[in-house]
Amino acid sequence: MPKKILVVDDSKTALMMEREILEKRTNYQCVTAADGREAVEKARQEHPDLVLMDVVMPTMNGFEACKMLRQQPGTREIPIVLVTTRGEESYMEAGFQSGCNDYITKPIDGVELVELLKSYLGE
Amino acid sequence: MSDEQSNAPGPKLAGASPMNDARLEAARKRLAESRDEEDAIEGLREIVANLLGSEELGLFMVDRGAATFPVYWSFGIDPEKYDLGWALGDAGLRRVMDGECHVDLADGDHAGAMARVRAFVPIRFANQTIAILAILRLLPQKLAFDGSDMELFKLLSHEAATPLFAQSVHSNLVGKEPGMKA
Repeated sequence: MPKKILVVDDSKTALMMEREILEKRTNYQCVTAADGREAVEKARQEHPDLVLMDVVMPTMNGFEACKMLRQQPGTREIPIVLVTTRGEESYMEAGFQSGCNDYITKPIDGVELVELLKSYLGE
Repeated sequence: MSDEQSNAPGPKLAGASPMNDARLEAARKRLAESRDEEDAIEGLREIVANLLGSEELGLFMVDRGAATFPVYWSFGIDPEKYDLGWALGDAGLRRVMDGECHVDLADGDHAGAMARVRAFVPIRFANQTIAILAILRLLPQKLAFDGSDMELFKLLSHEAATPLFAQSVHSNLVGKEPGMKA
């Protein structure tokens, strides 16, 4: 069974690029969501092995979604990597306080992303 | 990118790094799948923010008759305070009009430690520059443009015009060309 990654971003471009990388450069399966609320629902349904989630999104942002995932028994153990254009220390601090495991900034370096995912999920 | 090169088909993926392939493919798909001009503009903003690392940009039209560059759309800048001709200078402007992507550092207050990297990308259609995409400041974590960014500039130069302006061109032609219907 391939490991499954839930990719969450309101930007179609970011989703397209992350999907391209995951499907062509890894053996991981990819499911997507367009905002935090959808991410929380999909995480319950799909039981992903990792969540790769944007921070700034409509409806529910990445910090809020991260907190919700940490509160639910079925999703609290899933590794969460937050992705954002905001690289300020205060944002990173807020990310870790919301419960994320890692925090990376856009533009994403594909090689670094794959290495990071492998560190959580293996080959 | 020379004018000669800009007449060639869009950038080829072969030879590019595998990870840059993913970036180029995502940008290409996003532009091609745009529903309309508004969505294409949003696609352009997403590409610049997510793939190039900037949230300050503007799209300037080329008005050859008046030799001016009116703002078509912008994000994160005050377009009224931005003069493309002044920013690029005559020589730079000429190169961009000829189809060459131009990357430089802004002078004045933004030089030095807080160097302000800028890029000017000609948006080409039918071998002419019809608009200029100006990327005016990078996100703090992105320090410079690199070779893979240049590949993406070329793709935008070749492939952005149709999704961005096809509807307007069609609308302008309707009524002017005999037999052309909306």
